[in-house]
Amino acid sequence: MTSKDLTLTNVSRRFGNVTALDNFNLHVGVGELVALLGPSGCGKTTALRIIAGLESLDSGKVTVGEKDISKVPAHKRNMGMVFQAYSLFPNLTVVENVAFGLQMRKVSKHLRIKKAQELLELVGLPTHAQRFTHQLSGGQQQRVALARALAFSPEILLLDEPLSALDAQVRVNLREEIRRLQISLGTTTVFVTHDQEEAMSISDRVGVMSNGVLEQIDTPDVLYNAPATAFVANFVGVMNRIPADLTDGKVNIFGKNLVASKNGTETGKIVALLRPETILVKKSSSQGNAKVLTRSFLGASSVIICQTHEGSIVQSLMASLNTGDFHPGTLVDLEVTTNEVMVTNV
Amino acid sequence: MKKKLDLPLLITLVILAFFVFVPMISAFEYSIRTPLEGGYGLKHYQWAIDNEDFFYYILRSGWLSAVTVVITLVILVPTVTWLHLSKSKLRPLIDGLSLLPLVIPVVAFAVGAQISLPEFVQNTVLELPFLYFILALPYAYRALDIGLNSIPLKTITEAARSAGASWVRTITSVIIPVIRGAVMATVALTFALSIGEYTLTVLLHWDTFPTWVTFVAQENILGAIAISMMSLVIPFVLLTAITLFTPDRSVRGRK
Repeated sequence: MTSKDLTLTNVSRRFGNVTALDNFNLHVGVGELVALLGPSGCGKTTALRIIAGLESLDSGKVTVGEKDISKVPAHKRNMGMVFQAYSLFPNLTVVENVAFGLQMRKVSKHLRIKKAQELLELVGLPTHAQRFTHQLSGGQQQRVALARALAFSPEILLLDEPLSALDAQVRVNLREEIRRLQISLGTTTVFVTHDQEEAMSISDRVGVMSNGVLEQIDTPDVLYNAPATAFVANFVGVMNRIPADLTDGKVNIFGKNLVASKNGTETGKIVALLRPETILVKKSSSQGNAKVLTRSFLGASSVIICQTHEGSIVQSLMASLNTGDFHPGTLVDLEVTTNEVMVTNV
Repeated sequence: MKKKLDLPLLITLVILAFFVFVPMISAFEYSIRTPLEGGYGLKHYQWAIDNEDFFYYILRSGWLSAVTVVITLVILVPTVTWLHLSKSKLRPLIDGLSLLPLVIPVVAFAVGAQISLPEFVQNTVLELPFLYFILALPYAYRALDIGLNSIPLKTITEAARSAGASWVRTITSVIIPVIRGAVMATVALTFALSIGEYTLTVLLHWDTFPTWVTFVAQENILGAIAISMMSLVIPFVLLTAITLFTPDRSVRGRK
């Protein structure tokens, strides 16, 4: 079975008074990996569960390829799913777990064991076939869960925070492995996570969600560099929020006039949004415009947190070279290295 | 991996064994007495086995209990699973209702339950398994409830469904094997309760093994005890066989 594209059209879902999804639209191309990113309660898990058929929708439709599957029960959707919690069947061995989907599709025992064994090799656990699931580590269990979800060649692969319960190192390894497998098998994939690093690092596109709507969906680069809304700007990456005045489409920050890149309805008092890497900290000979609060050395780069004399907290990310003198209390000059700035209401 | 002997545990076991085995051994001793000839012998056992009714009634009680077990599993496993998955507000109420068979007087129960049964079983011997099911409900319900509480039911169910298992397959291929211990307990409790049920059976004028033993006791008390001893052994062998020959793939060492 080859992978297909996935479309959600005007999908809405309410739980009592809470709107989990509000006219939600999403298109995932064939072989594409799209992450849904957002704070808890934003509706990303509901969207995934609706795609899987584990949750019903109030209105709208879900289409795979040309087929409307909105009313198709979960077990007939041919979608592989990996869950956050370890969801392996404890009464089955690893290889039987992986072969489960094929067993449900009435594939002969010989063929399904062979296929399961192939999948176990793909996820790097060829020698664990006969073990029981409780004999595996958390990372290994999720690998088996991934193999189980892929064994029956699903049209769509759904990942529901599959890495959240794992240790940091295992998490990074496994997410890269998921990406490698996903590319080599060409499976259309939806990946739900609240971890932006996870989403940005392995996705073709990331959809940022808030309050049941998709705020923006684009490549990680565009999301970071050209966020469409203030919510996306604040949610993705670190963002400095510096109060300022907007006059004639220009904002003066630290003595430099910047062009406001979003000339919405905002006038007068606004908040300028600036990434830490666009802020440069320089030693000041006089009073400067800020003082250093802390400096965190990260190796090649350092994070310097300063407080302006007006009281705003500003974070800078710069090369570690020459930042050794920025002890707490040091008076410094802050400079902005870009010419454009995104602004939002106070 | 041999653990050191646990003294308090050992003492408890000895006391427990005393309570369980002394009456059984006494009954056995009594059943092999031969008062007319003096000394001991197996003639009461011989008498019981030679009696055609012995096998007739033990088989009858056996299949009635087996039907009860099937009814219990078919009705209760999906119901309790659904209660757990739906997070229904009715659950505390149903927890409470499941205890009612313990407090309702058997006489009221016999009449009331009988007329509420489907017509095709009313006044046939098949009404007994349905009534036994209700009598065993408080125990069976709790055994399954505890079993389902001990597993990540929602995730496992959803994993099975998304891998292509229908609801029936999810219950038979995943849930029942995963809570095998609880299901075995349900089977054992229901079977034991059904095969020994007396009051309700008598009230409804049916004859099963327990009522027959009581009848026999009126003419041959030693023979009745011999029969009871044998009837103890049969379910014991049966349950041991089920436990031994079902491959043990239950949840072990899972956090």
